[in-house]
Amino acid sequence: MQKASFFRIAMRTGAWMVLAFLLLPMLVVVPVSLTDHSYISLPGQGLSLAHYVNYFTNPRWLEATWQSVVIGVAVSALATLLGTAFAVGCWFLSDFWATVARWVLITPLLVPPVVQALGFYRFWVQLGLIDTLGGVILAHTLLALPYVTISVFAALANLDRRIPQAARSLGASVWTTVISVVVPAARPGMLAGALFAFIVSFDEIVAVLFLTVRNVQTLPKMIWQGIQDNIDPTIAAVATVLTLLTASIMVVVSLRRRN
Amino acid sequence: MTAPSSPSVLSIRKAVKRYGTVQALGGIELDIGEGEFLTLLGPSGSGKTTLLTAIAGFTGLDEGRLVLRGKDITDLPPDRRDFGMVFQGYALFPTMNVRNNIAFPLKVRKWKPADIQARVEECLALVQMEGFADRMPSQLSGGQQQRVALARALSFRPSVLLLDEPLSALDKKLRADLQWELKDLHRKLGVTFIYVTHDQDEALSMSDRIVILKDGLVQQIGEPGALYNAPRTTFVADFLGKSNFLDVEVEGFAGGRARCRAGGESFEVATEAPPAGGRGRVALRPERIRLAPPKGAAFEGAIRQTSYLGERCHVILDHPGFGQILVSCPTWKSGVVPEDGLPVSFDWDADACVFLEDA
Repeated sequence: MQKASFFRIAMRTGAWMVLAFLLLPMLVVVPVSLTDHSYISLPGQGLSLAHYVNYFTNPRWLEATWQSVVIGVAVSALATLLGTAFAVGCWFLSDFWATVARWVLITPLLVPPVVQALGFYRFWVQLGLIDTLGGVILAHTLLALPYVTISVFAALANLDRRIPQAARSLGASVWTTVISVVVPAARPGMLAGALFAFIVSFDEIVAVLFLTVRNVQTLPKMIWQGIQDNIDPTIAAVATVLTLLTASIMVVVSLRRRN
Repeated sequence: MTAPSSPSVLSIRKAVKRYGTVQALGGIELDIGEGEFLTLLGPSGSGKTTLLTAIAGFTGLDEGRLVLRGKDITDLPPDRRDFGMVFQGYALFPTMNVRNNIAFPLKVRKWKPADIQARVEECLALVQMEGFADRMPSQLSGGQQQRVALARALSFRPSVLLLDEPLSALDKKLRADLQWELKDLHRKLGVTFIYVTHDQDEALSMSDRIVILKDGLVQQIGEPGALYNAPRTTFVADFLGKSNFLDVEVEGFAGGRARCRAGGESFEVATEAPPAGGRGRVALRPERIRLAPPKGAAFEGAIRQTSYLGERCHVILDHPGFGQILVSCPTWKSGVVPEDGLPVSFDWDADACVFLEDA
């Protein structure tokens, strides 16, 4: 009994330490964002919201945020459309070549981001897409596609193959069958995929650094430059806002799922 | 007897389908009559489901034609054939409620909303599911889902309804109830039913005609009673009900009766023409054998084993010449009370035995 409870205490302490190790670096930005100094530091004399005010009033920060959102939404829509079309097509064929195609589409997950970004750079130069919004959207869409197809495949795995057959026998064309029977079954996977695609695009920086110069300024790139050029605590304020936003989305999603 | 009694609605001509080296359909010839209840019966791998999916348009034929009322439909896609189909496992659309499931074929045919509304109500009444229109398929029992699948397949008034083992997922009692309902529905609507099953009881109880398939070939076609009483091959005699088989030597033929010898015993078999060559095989139904106390009937044997089934009792007899003989006798009226090891005598009428062609 004595021994067992000692074991439990040790395990619990270990678990909490791992949790703290994971969470503290994330949480340390919160006091830093409230610092009353003009450089990255813990608050000295008192707390200040000056850096939040700076983020929400500085046109450069707002412009970067807006561009990140636009790119993220466009990537989410594009990747969901293409990824769903691909997954539905593979599901219908489900032969050897469909399996090969699935694996090929997932390979971007296996290639190091720097290598991919270099590849994008070489092609984008030839296509004249360097430093354009379209160029970043295209690159991010390619990076996000595997996430969408994987989650749509997962949703379709439960769909009885006789269901589209039933739709055909009841008079529906292939197109009507896909729209009215297959896509509704894929919808949970599409929603998850769209969210993944947005997140992939929203915090992607390697490809953005390779593909953009001055025209396109995303939020991760601003943060990166902010750390390089000066040690402005606004970065901590931005990080805190983003963390709060993500956490609240997670809470809303999990509450809705529970209902 | 092997041709439909009404004009043919669907004709299958030399249908061949191969999967690699396996021949799923080996040149099937079949005419299905207007308003007929036709059952495709066979063990798994016999080609019955392949034939049905070929009729529905999901399986392309390698050779042969399908003709619907004189029109060649071999190359038409499934959605342009206008056959209703009921699938194994129902295949209801999980994201639509009962009403929208039944309305689906009407919507794709661009019916007017008022007509759709009226027809859905009519179909729900047809399968006794009034009041379930707003339920989702996941909220229904297996039997209820089956009814909705039927209503959906019938809603657009197809001339032919294809049914792929529709009752196989239901429990025994519900299956028996739905057999009565299906038969009733068929009589009321006058729609041609093509029904696939591996269950001989289903086939016997509902069909106008049964097609027995094996290895992609038609073994025998006929009305249930005709098939049961006059099987042509060992396979049919064994698959449709149970049979005892005796290899006999024909010693003489007179007055429609063949004098036969098997296992050291002699008996008569009623037939129009005994097999040429003086040798043959007969099938003998277990329920046609009478049991009696010793010396009470022609052949003497002993009971090896009994199996009590409620209204019937199955008995395995040992006979020194015939070997093991299966007897099925009613429990409420029997010459003897079956008991393991009991010596008995037994016999049968001359018309209880049927000569088979594949002896």
